[in-house]
Amino acid sequence: MAETSGPTVLDDLAFLDELIGTGPQTWDVIGELPVELLRELGAMGLLCAEVPTRFGGLGADSRRNGELTAHIGGLCSSLRSIMTSQGIAATAVRRFGDRAQRQRYLGELTGGTLAAVGFSEPEAGSDLAAMRTRIERAGDTVTVSGEKRWVTGARYADLLLVLGRDGENAAAVLVPSDAPGVTVEPVLDPMGCRAAGHSRVLLDEVRLPASAVLGGGGHALALLFTTALSYGRMSVAWGCVGILRACLRAATAHAKVREQSGKPLAEHQLVAKHLASLFTAEQVATQACRQASERWDAAAPDMAVAAVLAKHVGATNAARSAGEAVQVLASWGAQDGHVVARAYRDAKLMEIIEGSNEISELILAEHALEHS
Amino acid sequence: MSASNRTIDAETVEGELLAFLAERVGSPVTPEQDLFSAGLVSSMFAMQLVVHLEDSYDLEIVGPELTLEHFRSVRRMTELVLRLSAGAESDG
Repeated sequence: MAETSGPTVLDDLAFLDELIGTGPQTWDVIGELPVELLRELGAMGLLCAEVPTRFGGLGADSRRNGELTAHIGGLCSSLRSIMTSQGIAATAVRRFGDRAQRQRYLGELTGGTLAAVGFSEPEAGSDLAAMRTRIERAGDTVTVSGEKRWVTGARYADLLLVLGRDGENAAAVLVPSDAPGVTVEPVLDPMGCRAAGHSRVLLDEVRLPASAVLGGGGHALALLFTTALSYGRMSVAWGCVGILRACLRAATAHAKVREQSGKPLAEHQLVAKHLASLFTAEQVATQACRQASERWDAAAPDMAVAAVLAKHVGATNAARSAGEAVQVLASWGAQDGHVVARAYRDAKLMEIIEGSNEISELILAEHALEHS
Repeated sequence: MSASNRTIDAETVEGELLAFLAERVGSPVTPEQDLFSAGLVSSMFAMQLVVHLEDSYDLEIVGPELTLEHFRSVRRMTELVLRLSAGAESDG
Protein backbone atom coordinates (compact mmCIF):
# COMPACT_ATOMS: atom_id res chain seq x y z
CA MET A 1 0.00 0.00 0.00
CA ALA A 2 2.99 2.26 0.50
CA GLU A 3 4.03 4.27 -2.49
CA THR A 4 6.80 6.68 -1.54
CA SER A 5 10.44 5.84 -1.76
CA GLY A 6 11.93 9.34 -1.69
CA PRO A 7 13.00 11.12 1.49
CA THR A 8 10.20 12.17 3.79
CA VAL A 9 9.73 13.82 7.13
CA LEU A 10 9.67 10.28 8.57
CA ASP A 11 13.35 9.63 7.86
CA ASP A 12 14.56 11.37 10.98
CA LEU A 13 12.13 11.69 13.85
CA ALA A 14 14.40 13.78 16.08
CA PHE A 15 12.50 16.96 15.18
CA LEU A 16 9.56 15.56 17.18
CA ASP A 17 11.61 15.57 20.39
CA GLU A 18 12.18 19.27 19.90
CA LEU A 19 8.59 20.02 18.90
CA ILE A 20 7.11 18.09 21.82
CA GLY A 21 9.87 18.87 24.35
CA THR A 22 8.96 18.52 28.01
CA GLY A 23 5.29 19.15 27.25
CA PRO A 24 4.02 15.62 28.08
CA GLN A 25 4.86 16.00 31.77
CA THR A 26 2.71 19.13 32.04
CA TRP A 27 -0.04 17.85 29.75
CA ASP A 28 -0.45 14.80 32.00
CA VAL A 29 -0.81 16.93 35.11
CA ILE A 30 -3.22 19.50 33.64
CA GLY A 31 -5.06 16.87 31.57
CA GLU A 32 -4.93 18.76 28.30
CA LEU A 33 -2.96 18.78 25.04
CA PRO A 34 -2.17 22.02 23.16
CA VAL A 35 -4.63 21.88 20.26
CA GLU A 36 -2.41 24.03 18.04
CA LEU A 37 0.29 21.34 18.25
CA LEU A 38 -2.26 18.71 17.23
CA ARG A 39 -3.21 20.79 14.21
CA GLU A 40 0.42 21.36 13.31
CA LEU A 41 1.18 17.62 13.43
CA GLY A 42 -2.06 16.93 11.58
CA ALA A 43 -1.22 19.35 8.77
CA MET A 44 2.14 17.58 8.36
CA GLY A 45 0.22 14.34 7.83
CA LEU A 46 1.79 12.82 10.94
CA LEU A 47 -1.45 11.92 12.73
CA CYS A 48 -2.45 9.46 9.98
CA ALA A 49 0.77 8.80 8.11
CA GLU A 50 -0.53 5.89 6.04
CA VAL A 51 -2.81 8.10 3.94
CA PRO A 52 -1.50 7.90 0.34
CA THR A 53 0.27 10.92 -1.12
CA ARG A 54 -2.40 11.35 -3.81
CA PHE A 55 -4.76 12.39 -1.01
CA GLY A 56 -2.18 14.66 0.61
CA GLY A 57 -0.79 12.10 3.07
CA LEU A 58 2.71 10.83 3.73
CA GLY A 59 2.07 7.43 2.12
CA ALA A 60 3.92 5.55 4.87
CA ASP A 61 3.73 1.78 5.10
CA SER A 62 2.63 0.18 8.35
CA ARG A 63 6.20 -0.35 9.54
CA ARG A 64 7.23 3.28 9.09
CA ASN A 65 4.00 4.54 10.60
CA GLY A 66 4.63 2.06 13.42
CA GLU A 67 8.06 3.48 14.19
CA LEU A 68 6.55 6.98 14.14
CA THR A 69 3.79 5.81 16.49
CA ALA A 70 6.32 4.22 18.85
CA HIS A 71 8.43 7.39 18.82
CA ILE A 72 5.48 9.58 19.78
CA GLY A 73 4.15 6.89 22.14
CA GLY A 74 7.47 6.97 23.98
CA LEU A 75 7.07 10.70 24.52
CA CYS A 76 3.35 10.94 25.29
CA SER A 77 0.62 8.29 25.19
CA SER A 78 -2.09 10.97 25.17
CA LEU A 79 -0.70 12.39 21.95
CA ARG A 80 -0.27 8.88 20.54
CA SER A 81 -3.95 8.21 21.35
CA ILE A 82 -4.90 11.19 19.19
CA MET A 83 -2.87 9.65 16.34
CA THR A 84 -4.67 6.37 16.82
CA SER A 85 -8.09 8.04 16.49
CA GLN A 86 -7.11 10.10 13.48
CA GLY A 87 -5.64 7.00 11.83
CA ILE A 88 -8.77 4.93 12.47
CA ALA A 89 -10.91 7.67 10.93
CA ALA A 90 -8.63 7.85 7.88
CA THR A 91 -8.66 4.05 7.50
CA ALA A 92 -12.46 3.94 7.61
CA VAL A 93 -12.74 6.76 5.05
CA ARG A 94 -10.21 5.09 2.77
CA ARG A 95 -11.95 1.74 2.86
CA PHE A 96 -15.63 2.67 3.08
CA GLY A 97 -15.82 6.15 1.59
CA ASP A 98 -16.78 6.73 -2.04
CA ARG A 99 -14.45 8.57 -4.40
CA ALA A 100 -15.65 12.05 -3.45
CA GLN A 101 -15.58 11.28 0.26
CA ARG A 102 -12.03 9.93 0.10
CA GLN A 103 -10.87 13.02 -1.74
CA ARG A 104 -12.55 15.40 0.65
CA TYR A 105 -12.06 13.79 4.05
CA LEU A 106 -8.54 12.40 3.56
CA GLY A 107 -7.51 15.87 2.43
CA GLU A 108 -9.00 17.33 5.60
CA LEU A 109 -7.49 14.67 7.87
CA THR A 110 -4.02 15.46 6.52
CA GLY A 111 -4.67 19.20 6.50
CA GLY A 112 -5.07 20.00 10.18
CA THR A 113 -8.66 18.86 10.76
CA LEU A 114 -8.89 16.64 13.87
CA ALA A 115 -11.06 13.54 14.10
CA ALA A 116 -12.29 11.29 16.89
CA VAL A 117 -14.00 7.92 16.58
CA GLY A 118 -17.16 6.89 18.45
CA PHE A 119 -17.57 3.12 18.82
CA SER A 120 -18.35 2.26 22.45
CA GLU A 121 -21.74 2.92 23.98
CA PRO A 122 -23.05 2.76 27.55
CA GLU A 123 -24.60 -0.65 26.83
CA ALA A 124 -22.18 -1.84 24.16
CA GLY A 125 -18.42 -2.04 24.53
CA SER A 126 -17.11 -4.98 22.57
CA ASP A 127 -20.63 -6.38 22.21
CA LEU A 128 -21.61 -4.72 18.97
CA ALA A 129 -24.94 -6.40 18.64
CA ALA A 130 -26.06 -4.17 21.50
CA MET A 131 -25.20 -0.97 19.62
CA ARG A 132 -28.06 1.51 19.81
CA THR A 133 -26.91 4.52 17.82
CA ARG A 134 -29.15 4.95 14.76
CA ILE A 135 -28.18 6.39 11.41
CA GLU A 136 -31.46 6.94 9.56
CA ARG A 137 -31.43 8.00 5.95
CA ALA A 138 -34.37 9.83 4.35
CA GLY A 139 -33.85 11.26 0.89
CA ASP A 140 -30.75 13.40 0.88
CA THR A 141 -30.54 13.86 4.63
CA VAL A 142 -29.53 11.57 7.45
CA THR A 143 -30.38 11.72 11.16
CA VAL A 144 -27.97 10.42 13.80
CA SER A 145 -29.11 9.65 17.36
CA GLY A 146 -27.30 7.93 20.18
CA GLU A 147 -24.67 8.13 22.86
CA LYS A 148 -21.00 7.21 22.66
CA ARG A 149 -18.74 6.93 25.65
CA TRP A 150 -15.00 7.22 26.16
CA VAL A 151 -14.46 8.80 22.76
CA THR A 152 -10.71 9.49 22.63
CA GLY A 153 -9.86 12.99 21.44
CA ALA A 154 -13.48 14.12 21.09
CA ARG A 155 -12.65 17.17 23.15
CA TYR A 156 -10.34 18.46 20.39
CA ALA A 157 -12.08 16.98 17.35
CA ASP A 158 -13.67 18.85 14.45
CA LEU A 159 -15.12 15.63 13.03
CA LEU A 160 -16.59 12.62 14.81
CA LEU A 161 -16.66 9.30 12.97
CA VAL A 162 -19.75 7.67 14.44
CA LEU A 163 -20.68 4.03 13.98
CA GLY A 164 -24.32 3.08 14.18
CA ARG A 165 -27.13 0.89 13.00
CA ASP A 166 -28.44 1.51 9.50
CA GLY A 167 -31.59 -0.57 9.32
CA GLU A 168 -30.45 -4.17 9.69
CA ASN A 169 -26.92 -3.25 8.71
CA ALA A 170 -24.37 -0.71 9.88
CA ALA A 171 -22.96 2.58 8.69
CA ALA A 172 -20.28 5.09 9.59
CA VAL A 173 -21.06 8.78 9.40
CA LEU A 174 -18.81 11.83 9.75
CA VAL A 175 -20.44 14.28 12.13
CA PRO A 176 -19.03 17.81 12.49
CA SER A 177 -18.60 18.32 16.23
CA ASP A 178 -20.28 21.73 15.99
CA ALA A 179 -23.43 20.38 14.30
CA PRO A 180 -26.67 21.19 16.17
CA GLY A 181 -27.57 18.31 18.51
CA VAL A 182 -23.97 17.28 19.28
CA THR A 183 -22.83 17.53 22.92
CA VAL A 184 -19.26 16.66 23.95
CA GLU A 185 -18.68 16.16 27.69
CA PRO A 186 -15.05 15.54 28.69
CA VAL A 187 -14.42 12.61 31.08
CA LEU A 188 -13.18 14.04 34.37
CA ASP A 189 -9.83 12.80 35.69
CA PRO A 190 -9.22 9.72 33.51
CA MET A 191 -6.73 7.34 35.12
CA GLY A 192 -4.39 7.22 32.13
CA CYS A 193 -3.73 9.05 28.86
CA ARG A 194 -5.04 11.94 30.88
CA ALA A 195 -4.65 14.56 28.17
CA ALA A 196 -6.20 12.48 25.37
CA GLY A 197 -9.50 14.36 25.61
CA HIS A 198 -11.72 11.34 26.31
CA SER A 199 -15.33 12.43 26.23
CA ARG A 200 -18.90 11.30 26.30
CA VAL A 201 -20.65 12.26 23.07
CA LEU A 202 -24.40 12.76 22.86
CA LEU A 203 -26.09 12.84 19.47
CA ASP A 204 -29.61 14.19 19.65
CA GLU A 205 -31.27 13.86 16.24
CA VAL A 206 -28.30 15.36 14.46
CA ARG A 207 -29.33 16.11 10.87
CA LEU A 208 -26.68 15.99 8.16
CA PRO A 209 -26.53 15.70 4.37
CA ALA A 210 -26.63 12.06 3.25
CA SER A 211 -23.16 12.57 1.75
CA ALA A 212 -21.79 12.36 5.32
CA VAL A 213 -22.53 8.60 5.39
CA LEU A 214 -19.45 6.70 4.21
CA GLY A 215 -20.10 4.82 0.99
CA GLY A 216 -23.85 5.25 1.38
CA GLY A 217 -24.01 2.87 4.37
CA GLY A 218 -25.52 -0.61 4.39
CA HIS A 219 -22.29 -2.23 5.52
CA ALA A 220 -21.76 -5.30 7.63
CA LEU A 221 -21.20 -4.16 11.19
CA ALA A 222 -18.55 -6.85 11.65
CA LEU A 223 -16.58 -5.65 8.66
CA LEU A 224 -16.82 -1.98 9.49
CA PHE A 225 -15.79 -2.59 13.05
CA THR A 226 -12.93 -4.99 12.39
CA THR A 227 -11.43 -2.82 9.65
CA ALA A 228 -11.40 0.27 11.82
CA LEU A 229 -10.37 -1.55 14.97
CA SER A 230 -7.53 -3.43 13.30
CA TYR A 231 -5.83 -0.15 12.49
CA GLY A 232 -6.45 0.94 16.09
CA ARG A 233 -4.85 -2.25 17.38
CA MET A 234 -1.74 -1.79 15.24
CA SER A 235 -1.47 1.77 16.48
CA VAL A 236 -1.90 0.83 20.16
CA ALA A 237 0.57 -2.04 19.74
CA TRP A 238 3.30 0.28 18.38
CA GLY A 239 2.35 2.86 21.02
CA CYS A 240 3.05 0.20 23.67
CA VAL A 241 6.47 -0.39 22.10
CA GLY A 242 7.05 3.32 22.66
CA ILE A 243 6.01 3.02 26.31
CA LEU A 244 8.39 0.07 26.71
CA ARG A 245 11.29 1.94 25.11
CA ALA A 246 10.71 4.97 27.34
CA CYS A 247 10.59 2.75 30.45
CA LEU A 248 13.75 0.88 29.43
CA ARG A 249 15.57 4.18 28.81
CA ALA A 250 14.51 5.68 32.13
CA ALA A 251 15.29 2.54 34.15
CA THR A 252 18.74 1.91 32.65
CA ALA A 253 19.75 5.58 32.91
CA HIS A 254 18.72 5.66 36.55
CA ALA A 255 20.28 2.31 37.44
CA LYS A 256 23.64 3.40 36.00
CA VAL A 257 24.03 6.50 38.14
CA ARG A 258 22.03 6.02 41.29
CA GLU A 259 24.12 4.34 43.99
CA GLN A 260 22.94 2.14 46.81
CA SER A 261 25.28 0.55 49.37
CA GLY A 262 28.30 2.02 47.58
CA LYS A 263 27.61 0.74 44.06
CA PRO A 264 25.30 1.63 41.18
CA LEU A 265 21.81 0.09 41.28
CA ALA A 266 22.59 -1.76 38.04
CA GLU A 267 25.16 -3.87 39.90
CA HIS A 268 22.55 -5.10 42.35
CA GLN A 269 21.35 -8.39 40.90
CA LEU A 270 17.69 -7.99 41.79
CA VAL A 271 17.66 -4.64 39.97
CA ALA A 272 19.51 -6.15 37.00
CA LYS A 273 16.73 -8.71 36.75
CA HIS A 274 14.20 -5.88 36.25
CA LEU A 275 16.40 -4.40 33.51
CA ALA A 276 16.65 -7.76 31.75
CA SER A 277 12.90 -8.14 31.96
CA LEU A 278 12.31 -4.63 30.54
CA PHE A 279 14.72 -5.28 27.69
CA THR A 280 13.08 -8.62 26.87
CA ALA A 281 9.61 -7.07 26.91
CA GLU A 282 10.67 -4.27 24.56
CA GLN A 283 12.24 -6.72 22.13
CA VAL A 284 9.32 -9.15 22.15
CA ALA A 285 6.74 -6.38 21.60
CA THR A 286 8.84 -4.85 18.81
CA GLN A 287 9.07 -8.20 17.02
CA ALA A 288 5.32 -8.82 17.33
CA CYS A 289 4.65 -5.35 15.87
CA ARG A 290 7.12 -5.79 13.01
CA GLN A 291 5.55 -9.12 12.15
CA ALA A 292 2.04 -7.63 12.21
CA SER A 293 3.11 -4.64 10.10
CA GLU A 294 4.59 -7.03 7.56
CA ARG A 295 1.25 -8.86 7.36
CA TRP A 296 -0.54 -5.52 7.11
CA ASP A 297 1.68 -4.24 4.30
CA ALA A 298 1.27 -7.52 2.43
CA ALA A 299 -2.53 -7.28 2.95
CA ALA A 300 -2.30 -10.85 4.21
CA PRO A 301 -5.58 -12.57 5.10
CA ASP A 302 -4.42 -12.98 8.71
CA MET A 303 -3.62 -9.28 9.15
CA ALA A 304 -6.50 -8.74 11.57
CA VAL A 305 -5.36 -11.58 13.83
CA ALA A 306 -1.74 -10.41 13.61
CA ALA A 307 -2.92 -6.99 14.81
CA VAL A 308 -4.71 -8.55 17.79
CA LEU A 309 -1.60 -10.55 18.68
CA ALA A 310 0.67 -7.49 18.46
CA LYS A 311 -1.75 -5.42 20.53
CA HIS A 312 -2.04 -8.12 23.17
CA VAL A 313 1.72 -8.72 23.40
CA GLY A 314 2.37 -4.96 23.46
CA ALA A 315 -0.23 -4.07 26.07
CA THR A 316 0.47 -6.90 28.51
CA ASN A 317 4.22 -6.36 28.33
CA ALA A 318 3.88 -2.59 28.68
CA ALA A 319 1.59 -2.89 31.70
CA ARG A 320 3.92 -5.32 33.47
CA SER A 321 7.13 -3.56 32.52
CA ALA A 322 5.91 -0.10 33.48
CA GLY A 323 5.44 -1.47 37.00
CA GLU A 324 9.03 -2.72 36.98
CA ALA A 325 10.32 0.63 35.73
CA VAL A 326 8.55 2.42 38.60
CA GLN A 327 10.10 -0.17 40.92
CA VAL A 328 13.62 0.58 39.67
CA LEU A 329 13.18 4.36 39.85
CA ALA A 330 11.28 4.15 43.14
CA SER A 331 10.66 7.60 44.61
CA TRP A 332 12.42 9.26 41.64
CA GLY A 333 9.66 8.12 39.34
CA ALA A 334 6.70 8.03 41.68
CA GLN A 335 5.31 11.43 40.84
CA ASP A 336 2.54 12.12 38.32
CA GLY A 337 3.93 13.59 35.15
CA HIS A 338 7.15 11.51 35.33
CA VAL A 339 7.66 9.31 32.31
CA VAL A 340 7.44 6.02 34.26
CA ALA A 341 4.51 7.18 36.39
CA ARG A 342 2.65 8.07 33.20
CA ALA A 343 3.67 4.78 31.62
CA TYR A 344 2.31 2.89 34.63
CA ARG A 345 -1.14 4.49 34.32
CA ASP A 346 -1.25 4.74 30.53
CA ALA A 347 -0.13 1.14 29.92
CA LYS A 348 -2.89 -0.23 32.14
CA LEU A 349 -5.46 1.45 29.90
CA MET A 350 -3.85 -0.21 26.88
CA GLU A 351 -4.94 -3.56 28.38
CA ILE A 352 -8.52 -2.32 28.21
CA ILE A 353 -9.01 -0.35 24.98
CA GLU A 354 -9.26 -1.59 21.36
CA GLY A 355 -10.19 -5.04 22.65
CA SER A 356 -9.41 -5.84 26.29
CA ASN A 357 -6.92 -8.57 27.24
CA GLU A 358 -9.84 -10.94 27.58
CA ILE A 359 -11.37 -10.11 24.18
CA SER A 360 -7.95 -10.40 22.56
CA GLU A 361 -7.48 -13.80 24.19
CA LEU A 362 -10.87 -14.99 22.94
CA ILE A 363 -9.95 -13.99 19.38
CA LEU A 364 -6.52 -15.61 19.63
CA ALA A 365 -7.99 -18.81 21.10
CA GLU A 366 -10.56 -18.98 18.32
CA HIS A 367 -7.80 -18.52 15.76
CA ALA A 368 -5.72 -21.26 17.41
CA LEU A 369 -8.67 -23.64 17.33
CA GLU A 370 -9.38 -22.93 13.67
CA HIS A 371 -5.79 -23.62 12.71
CA SER A 372 -5.12 -26.67 14.86
CA MET B 1 -1.14 -9.24 -12.80
CA SER B 2 -1.78 -12.78 -11.67
CA ALA B 3 -5.48 -12.41 -12.33
CA SER B 4 -5.05 -11.31 -15.94
CA ASN B 5 -3.27 -14.53 -16.79
CA ARG B 6 -6.23 -16.74 -16.04
CA THR B 7 -9.88 -17.00 -16.91
CA ILE B 8 -12.33 -15.32 -14.59
CA ASP B 9 -15.74 -16.81 -15.24
CA ALA B 10 -18.68 -17.39 -12.93
CA GLU B 11 -18.13 -21.11 -12.67
CA THR B 12 -14.44 -20.83 -11.76
CA VAL B 13 -14.93 -18.04 -9.23
CA GLU B 14 -17.90 -19.71 -7.60
CA GLY B 15 -16.06 -23.02 -7.36
CA GLU B 16 -13.00 -21.39 -5.83
CA LEU B 17 -15.05 -19.43 -3.31
CA LEU B 18 -17.05 -22.50 -2.27
CA ALA B 19 -13.81 -24.38 -1.68
CA PHE B 20 -12.24 -21.47 0.22
CA LEU B 21 -15.27 -21.05 2.47
CA ALA B 22 -15.76 -24.76 3.07
CA GLU B 23 -12.15 -24.98 4.20
CA ARG B 24 -12.38 -21.93 6.47
CA VAL B 25 -15.72 -22.69 8.11
CA GLY B 26 -15.10 -26.41 8.25
CA SER B 27 -18.31 -27.51 6.54
CA PRO B 28 -19.75 -27.47 3.01
CA VAL B 29 -21.37 -24.21 1.86
CA THR B 30 -23.95 -23.79 -0.91
CA PRO B 31 -23.86 -20.93 -3.46
CA GLU B 32 -27.07 -19.28 -2.22
CA GLN B 33 -26.52 -19.84 1.50
CA ASP B 34 -26.76 -16.64 3.58
CA LEU B 35 -23.36 -16.66 5.26
CA PHE B 36 -24.07 -13.86 7.71
CA SER B 37 -27.46 -14.99 9.00
CA ALA B 38 -26.07 -18.54 9.30
CA GLY B 39 -23.40 -17.06 11.59
CA LEU B 40 -20.62 -18.47 9.40
CA VAL B 41 -18.83 -15.16 9.03
CA SER B 42 -17.27 -13.65 12.15
CA SER B 43 -15.91 -10.11 12.25
CA MET B 44 -12.34 -11.35 11.81
CA PHE B 45 -13.39 -13.53 8.91
CA ALA B 46 -15.33 -10.76 7.14
CA MET B 47 -12.16 -8.73 6.77
CA GLN B 48 -10.21 -11.79 5.62
CA LEU B 49 -12.84 -12.40 3.00
CA VAL B 50 -12.50 -8.92 1.51
CA VAL B 51 -8.72 -9.16 1.47
CA HIS B 52 -8.93 -12.64 -0.04
CA LEU B 53 -11.17 -11.46 -2.91
CA GLU B 54 -8.96 -8.44 -3.61
CA ASP B 55 -5.84 -10.52 -3.59
CA SER B 56 -7.11 -13.54 -5.53
CA TYR B 57 -8.79 -11.56 -8.31
CA ASP B 58 -6.62 -8.44 -8.33
CA LEU B 59 -9.44 -6.09 -7.36
CA GLU B 60 -10.00 -3.11 -5.15
CA ILE B 61 -13.21 -3.34 -3.15
CA VAL B 62 -13.90 0.00 -1.50
CA GLY B 63 -16.68 2.44 -0.65
CA PRO B 64 -20.19 1.51 -1.78
CA GLU B 65 -18.96 -1.88 -3.09
CA LEU B 66 -18.50 -3.01 0.51
CA THR B 67 -22.20 -3.25 1.30
CA LEU B 68 -23.26 -6.39 3.05
CA GLU B 69 -25.46 -7.41 0.10
CA HIS B 70 -22.37 -8.06 -2.01
CA PHE B 71 -20.98 -10.53 0.52
CA ARG B 72 -24.14 -12.24 1.66
CA SER B 73 -23.56 -15.44 -0.32
CA VAL B 74 -21.01 -17.08 -2.58
CA ARG B 75 -23.19 -16.23 -5.58
CA ARG B 76 -23.28 -12.54 -4.65
CA MET B 77 -19.52 -12.44 -4.14
CA THR B 78 -19.04 -14.12 -7.51
CA GLU B 79 -21.18 -11.44 -9.17
CA LEU B 80 -19.14 -8.74 -7.42
CA VAL B 81 -15.84 -10.25 -8.57
CA LEU B 82 -17.03 -10.55 -12.18
CA ARG B 83 -18.45 -7.04 -12.25
CA LEU B 84 -15.33 -5.43 -10.73
CA SER B 85 -13.00 -7.45 -13.00
CA ALA B 86 -14.94 -6.33 -16.07
CA GLY B 87 -14.75 -2.73 -14.84
CA ALA B 88 -11.00 -2.97 -14.29
CA GLU B 89 -10.47 -4.22 -17.84
CA SER B 90 -12.53 -1.50 -19.48
CA ASP B 91 -10.74 1.13 -17.37
CA GLY B 92 -7.52 0.28 -18.99
